[in-house]
Amino acid sequence: MNQLTKIGLTLLTAVALCSVGCKKKPSNITPLPGAGQSSAPTTSFASDPIRTARPTNTGVPPGNAFQPGNDGGSRTVPFDPTGGTQKSDLSAPLSGTDANPGPRPGGDKPEDRLTLQGDTVYFEYDKSAIKSSEYAKVAAVAEYLKSNPGDDLVVEGHCDERGTEEYNRALGERRALAVRERLVNLGVPASRVTTISYGKDRPVDVAHTEDAFSKNRRGEFVLLKGGTATK
Amino acid sequence: MSSVRCRSWYLRSMAAVLAALVLLPPAVAEETILIDAKTQGTIPIRLVGFPREVEDTLTFDLSVVGFEIVGPGKGQYEVRGGADPEVRGVLLEAGLNQPRFSRAYTGGSSRSQAHALADDIVKEITKHPGIARTRIAYRCISGARGSHNQLLSEIYVADYDGANAVPITQDRSVAVAPTWVPGRLQLLYTSYLSGYPDIYSQDLTTSARLPVAHFNGLNTSAAVSPNGTHVAMILSRTGNPSLWVANLDGSNPRQLTRTSGYEASPCWSPDGRTICFTSTAEGKAALFTVPAAGGAMTKLKTGGILNCTEPDWSPDGKWIAFTRASGEFKIYIVPASGGTAEEYSAGEDPCWAPNSRTIIFTRGRDPSRRLSLLDVPTRRVKDVTRISGSCSQPSWTK
Repeated sequence: MNQLTKIGLTLLTAVALCSVGCKKKPSNITPLPGAGQSSAPTTSFASDPIRTARPTNTGVPPGNAFQPGNDGGSRTVPFDPTGGTQKSDLSAPLSGTDANPGPRPGGDKPEDRLTLQGDTVYFEYDKSAIKSSEYAKVAAVAEYLKSNPGDDLVVEGHCDERGTEEYNRALGERRALAVRERLVNLGVPASRVTTISYGKDRPVDVAHTEDAFSKNRRGEFVLLKGGTATK
Repeated sequence: MSSVRCRSWYLRSMAAVLAALVLLPPAVAEETILIDAKTQGTIPIRLVGFPREVEDTLTFDLSVVGFEIVGPGKGQYEVRGGADPEVRGVLLEAGLNQPRFSRAYTGGSSRSQAHALADDIVKEITKHPGIARTRIAYRCISGARGSHNQLLSEIYVADYDGANAVPITQDRSVAVAPTWVPGRLQLLYTSYLSGYPDIYSQDLTTSARLPVAHFNGLNTSAAVSPNGTHVAMILSRTGNPSLWVANLDGSNPRQLTRTSGYEASPCWSPDGRTICFTSTAEGKAALFTVPAAGGAMTKLKTGGILNCTEPDWSPDGKWIAFTRASGEFKIYIVPASGGTAEEYSAGEDPCWAPNSRTIIFTRGRDPSRRLSLLDVPTRRVKDVTRISGSCSQPSWTK
């Protein structure tokens, strides 16, 4: 007979002997942590009679109040254009210049989504390269900005639903950065252009069709109107 | 029998038992193989005597970790108990005269007592810890629209089964990608409340919130190291979305990747030494690892499966779950050292529970995405139906 059966029989015998004529042992009582007792974090959260956990605005003012690491440099730090994975040791700290030094506008410059609405740039699935069919639009935006030096620009990057959420947030940012890079190459100062990615959070068409997907893969232009308009 | 005689019977019996145990060779420990090529069968168990809410709670807790609730005469195990009003339960096993245990619970709510009983049952039978008293964070589309007609999204925390849900943000903005600080009631998440995607840290006991990363460009995909000291995140401050690591408060950021593609969705190995993430450095999205202290990135072999995103490392270190985004989203699991990746369910964004057995993920399409629980060994899936609305991006307390 195997070991488990031996142990089982031994225990049954002992327990049978024990249980004859004896009162049953009392149940084990497990006290659960109540309010005020120290316990694992998850339980003490539950024992707190929560009203709504309302976040305070501590340390989080909107707009330009905080712009770490931005020394306003306009030189773009290029990433490796040669393809393939990088091999170098990256534990050395980065220099202070951010490649994405465009302004982080606050609420003081009013938004204008209409003027450049017709120049929305569209992308291929899972790609961030600017198609040649879109070059004219980007050029038009560059011309507008040169003619209106008081205005700044936000490029919004968007994706269709077929990528996962955070992947699409990164892809949307890549699309916005690609547009920005092209604008800079056309002579727009980098400091005037900011990028925001919304991933797939803001589709213009929620249908699950190829047509809808192609409308959602886009870069939108939002002007931040300056004081002195020259047009 | 008088109590004195009863006690001496008891003592002599126990002495006999101890002697027998010493003399017997040691029993072989039962090792439950949690992930196998073959689907594991479920364990039939019967629940007797509990009021409806307690029985429902026990049913959910047990069925998500591989138990099947059965009727009379069919269970390998039976739990007899009640709640009068405190929950008590006796766990019986077919073929054994003596209960596996007999317990009663006090304090907390009836629901939390039921969860405690479920955890005890799971531990007693499977030898592994239960998850019935754990929590999740997630985000839900709120249904309202913002000033730019965008769909708004807020962060919530709930019990893992969706009960006791509490809103964490109420900014009427877009808050996404919540992640727990291990061992603490603290979340990091991405929010557009400043107008830009920034990473914040929020203490859930005080609601105090501080910025962690608000560089120009994208700040998102925060993942906290297992010891709670560092955060991995995706920043595009250098002109390309890349993997960075900083102290938990965002200080001392270091860039870990610099590729011609872009990176997303980092996760940590349980020993805190390695970060696994998605990169398009080689074309289609694939999984890579990089030492958290810096170094070369290495592709993770996934047996030819491409478009791999959203990796999550099991707490026991053995597995990486991820989303395959080739058309319909699917949950795959691959050994953490690479190898054959196996499909487990339609869905996306897997997050392991502390038991390294259960995965919470998202399934369905916008606008009705929902959270769901996968029991990996039995491959059974159970929706977290208590959470209504379009919710996604779950994170499990560790």
